[in-house]
Amino acid sequence: MAEQPLLDVRDLSLRYPGPRGAVRALEGVSLSLSRGRVMGLVGESGSGKSSLVMALLGLPGTGAVLDAASMQFDGLDLRQQAAALRGRRIGMVFQDPGSALNPAMTIGAQVAEPLVRHLRMSRQDALDRAAALLTEVGIARAESVVRAYPHQLSGGMKQRAVIATALACEPELLLLDEPTTALDVTVEAQILDLLDRLRRERGVGMLLVSHNLGIVDRLCDDLTVLYAGRVVEQGAAATLLAAPRHPYTRGLLAAVPRADRGRMGRLAPIPGGLPDLTRPDPGCNFRPRCAFALPSCAAPQALAPQDGRLVRCHRAEAVGLAPLPGVTGAPPPPPRRPSDAPLLIATELTKTFRLGRPGLALRGGRLALRRPAELRAVDDVSFHVARGEVLGLVGESGCGKSTLGRMVLRLLGADAGRLRFDGQPVTDRPAVEFRRRAQIVFQNPNSSLNPRQTVEQALRWPLVRFGLARGAAADREVDRLLELVRLPSSYRARYPHQMSGGEKQRIGIARALASRPDFVVCDEAVSALDVSVQAAVLNLLSDLRDELGLAYLFISHDIGVIAHLADRIAVMYRGAIVEIGTAEQVLSPAYHPYTEALLSAVPLVGSGGRAARRVRLTGDASAVPDGAGCRFAPRCPRRIGGVCDTVPPPVRQPAPGHRIACHLPLETLAAIPPALGEAA
Amino acid sequence: MSGVALARPGRRWPASLVVGGAVVGVIALLAILGPWIAPYPPEEFAVLDRLRPPSAAHWFGTDEFGRDVFSRVLAGAHYSLLMGFGATGLSLLVGVPLGMLAAFHRGWVEEAVMRGVDLLISIPPVLLGLLILATTDPGLGKTVAAVGLVYVPIMTRLSRAVALGLLAEDFVDAARARADGMVRILWSEILPNAWSPIIVETALRITFAILLGSALSFLGLGPQPPASEWGLMIAESRPFIEEAPWIGLMPGLCLCALLVAVNMVGEGLRDLLDPRMRGRGHG
Amino acid sequence: MAGFVGRRLLSVVAIVWAMTVLVFGIVHLLPGSVAHMILGEFATADAIATLERRLGLNDPLWLQYWRWFSALLRGDFGLSLTMDRPAGPLILEALGRSAILAGISIVLVALLGMALGIHSAVKRGSVEDQVLTIAQYVFIAIPEFFWCILAILLFASWLGWLPATGYTPMGEGGVLRWASHLVLPVATLALGLTAHVSRMVRSSMLEALDSHYVLAARAKGMPERVVLWRHALPNALLPAITVLAIDVGLLIGGIVVAETVFSYPGLGRLLIYAIENQDLPLMMGGMIVVTAAYALANLVADLLYALLNPRIRYGGAA
Repeated sequence: MAEQPLLDVRDLSLRYPGPRGAVRALEGVSLSLSRGRVMGLVGESGSGKSSLVMALLGLPGTGAVLDAASMQFDGLDLRQQAAALRGRRIGMVFQDPGSALNPAMTIGAQVAEPLVRHLRMSRQDALDRAAALLTEVGIARAESVVRAYPHQLSGGMKQRAVIATALACEPELLLLDEPTTALDVTVEAQILDLLDRLRRERGVGMLLVSHNLGIVDRLCDDLTVLYAGRVVEQGAAATLLAAPRHPYTRGLLAAVPRADRGRMGRLAPIPGGLPDLTRPDPGCNFRPRCAFALPSCAAPQALAPQDGRLVRCHRAEAVGLAPLPGVTGAPPPPPRRPSDAPLLIATELTKTFRLGRPGLALRGGRLALRRPAELRAVDDVSFHVARGEVLGLVGESGCGKSTLGRMVLRLLGADAGRLRFDGQPVTDRPAVEFRRRAQIVFQNPNSSLNPRQTVEQALRWPLVRFGLARGAAADREVDRLLELVRLPSSYRARYPHQMSGGEKQRIGIARALASRPDFVVCDEAVSALDVSVQAAVLNLLSDLRDELGLAYLFISHDIGVIAHLADRIAVMYRGAIVEIGTAEQVLSPAYHPYTEALLSAVPLVGSGGRAARRVRLTGDASAVPDGAGCRFAPRCPRRIGGVCDTVPPPVRQPAPGHRIACHLPLETLAAIPPALGEAA
Repeated sequence: MSGVALARPGRRWPASLVVGGAVVGVIALLAILGPWIAPYPPEEFAVLDRLRPPSAAHWFGTDEFGRDVFSRVLAGAHYSLLMGFGATGLSLLVGVPLGMLAAFHRGWVEEAVMRGVDLLISIPPVLLGLLILATTDPGLGKTVAAVGLVYVPIMTRLSRAVALGLLAEDFVDAARARADGMVRILWSEILPNAWSPIIVETALRITFAILLGSALSFLGLGPQPPASEWGLMIAESRPFIEEAPWIGLMPGLCLCALLVAVNMVGEGLRDLLDPRMRGRGHG
Repeated sequence: MAGFVGRRLLSVVAIVWAMTVLVFGIVHLLPGSVAHMILGEFATADAIATLERRLGLNDPLWLQYWRWFSALLRGDFGLSLTMDRPAGPLILEALGRSAILAGISIVLVALLGMALGIHSAVKRGSVEDQVLTIAQYVFIAIPEFFWCILAILLFASWLGWLPATGYTPMGEGGVLRWASHLVLPVATLALGLTAHVSRMVRSSMLEALDSHYVLAARAKGMPERVVLWRHALPNALLPAITVLAIDVGLLIGGIVVAETVFSYPGLGRLLIYAIENQDLPLMMGGMIVVTAAYALANLVADLLYALLNPRIRYGGAA
């Protein structure tokens, strides 16, 4: 008999009774995890992956009805023992470290708590051990962090503290629920390295929940793909990711834009949305969205072995490796030639925010004028966007990219700098014609539409506002706009809450297009969407660019999305553009050291943790004070010396149109090896 | 989810809202119909019928002048309603525009408005009422104005906070990106989304407005005798509290019924409109 | 933290000063002369003129204000018009008695309100919780003066357990006599406010119990008792402090009413007496003192909040 698995779940079902009938969050889920192995649990939002983790902890929420043939941890029944095991032999890491830490307790107390409780350590011993744990997870000066409160730490530090807490009692199993989703990509890379090390050094088994296949590929041995509460494919991670068999898994992989593939034309979105989980569907619940569905798919499907993994699809073999419609079917697009004529020119834009208000303060018993701290959100930034061109603006949270996006539309006043649009200067109070021609699409579909307005009202008003159409002509125009964003005209009467996230985002795009602009700022326009929906919206945006000759300033933290869509790319770090050039120039050497780190931090499917070379940054962007020199110097792995801290970096030009702000000589920058893994 | 509250059509109405609303409705109806359905003229003395306990002829008994307490209670109903709804209405009328203005014009306008609000809010509510009523002749209008003034700073703060939250929403930036003016933005983007949190807060304030107004009347700083404001009736009944407790108890019970009902409406509205109260628990 | 305390102290001073301007302004700028107000509507022109001269009412307003304000700064509240005694000692004596009433009430409200609120949050949805919730609904809404009447009727008139009105100094009748006069006022004051506080504590406790950090504490294997007392409660207490500060404002209103009904010789009753008798120095002084007391109570609440909230205690990164 083989070694007893660490975690063994058979036929787990979870229902949440509700007013409209029970929500079947999980149906017949089975999985098994051996000691020291890492299993990925993948699926889009609503697939039930978080519910599964909470059920394993014995915390499925109030009212949940749990049902399983077996649910064992090291031979113990989790249904009875979960409370005794969690925190002691099973550790848990949550998605958002900001809300998972108690704001009223010190970090040390929170890390030490399970030690005192489960291992009966004395308080002082536990605190000492907490400091050691914090050091182990890569926190410098752990002795002072022990006494700190959560709000004093950055996101990455908080997540390290959460991991330290989970590790405190040396658990054999770690449950990780999207442990890096709330973090920046360079910080995410640090955390992934840490998890990798823990797996190797401590032999901790892990169940890693993620929507990001790159992360799964980086860390996992095994993979379980969940769709709407059911396991659709299960097997070795390498096998599944290299050659997925279930149409859903294949769709997920095909929908992700990838930095290493560059502009590869259209992505393959998965049409439709999640099924209603209150209505049981005995057949394949993916079939309404499946390209290969047949009437026979309405029959119950079993999870059956095939090609060295389990697949819940009776057509998997028949469909075999038939291409997904829309992926290889479409020929690669002809190379577009955006015109060289600049449409928008931004020169030396600068914006400083005051943090807090000026006021009086007692200092050393004397009243003194308190000057508020200042934040240079955008610092002396210059760039241009040509007609019909997509300029991708990439950077981590807080780098000022959204601020910059609003500044070029004059939605936010600049402290200094000039802006020209189509040859005309744009003042702080721009002409209506500029407003008509320059529009914006937002990140959050819930916030971008007025909840009290119907689609028709939202789309009609810009037409009237700019005097483009009224009456019956406006009616036809609203229909045309809906058609542009591929929605039926029956959507006119809908309110935002009657639409899905992807549909709302389409309406946001239609609204921006109503005034027939030729420049659109897309501010993280696809970041809030699930991969399958994101692919559809990205396709739409690139089609619209081709059909209407739009120019985009496309802002994103996701280098994959940027690489997919952008003609040129600007990399931003703490308010400054550190590198700008064509997509090819930026994605291959010569690099700015930050670009290099950013690219090598991206977890890619197909690299399988084999990525030859990783550049890792320490700390995060927010921890660094403003200085006179290079903004990146304090974290830069290629820092030369004092000159980086004190002198603003000069601009190097490896090629025409390619600018890098760095003290390193051009030859050194050019000699940096490629940071993106070769495409698998 | 975004901070915009929205009543989804078809949601069940909370029981407290239905019951409370019905009671308030009945009291309002009685206040309007009072003059026609009152069994006796409320100010008519009847020396022979002094201090009669409740009976078939006098449902709520009679007071020290032989006046029918039931008729007086009916005639006094409108005072409490006016104090509650009038004062909060007044505070809305002044506070909402002030708050919106402060949210829109960051800078010295906001600074001036909000410092004024800070000051008014630092004065105990009852004191603000006393200050105004002590220096002028009392009366219903004055009481309404005084109670309204107490809630102006609260409404200003609230509507500023609501407007600030909405101004940070992307759809307002979308409006600014198409050069919509301040009036248009306020009217179609802010107000339609602001009313529900403001209504919720207002409804919860009405209880306190009635409480404060009737307390001021009780202290003799509201409508003057022979008016039959319920707080005043209770105050006037104090010398006879042992002999004829019904003179004070009857208007008191009516006042309590009204207050509890108004409070129920407020809580019910909150359950209906406030997204934070919905969907507790994780799933 | 020192800066925070400094700023808050400064604001207390600013509030009290602004109140002097407001009180003085309203009294002197409203239609109708001050002398008229004092002497009543049947006063002769002669008498009014004499009084105006005596009180310096013909001087420019700023001079009158300065006279009054500078006297205030020296602790001189002027002479009570009706009692012909300095208003200052009268006010301070009454303030002391009211402070006892307010102090006992607020402590009672805080303890009882928190205990009930926490209890009903922990037992969310149970019969106890539902009964408490309904009781809160009702008790918040019932005016203090009605409680006062009921209390007098029940405990003083019918049962005869407690004195209905009056006050006996501790030195005269002993602690028991003194305390017996406090029971009914404190009880009536505490009823409504306890309902209010417990309702607010319940909702902030529910919020804390539904938070991710509580879920994380459970995932760490902490027993329910620790989750409740160490994780949820400290976070739920912060909003409770804010609510208590608001309730001090309501309490002041209640005290004015309760002192009037129970003939308790505190500041509230003194204030009503001054208003009824148009005793301006007494009234103005009383109002300034009440404002100052309220501002100080709010200051204490703010400091308590800051003390319990690490975000304020240790600034640090946002």
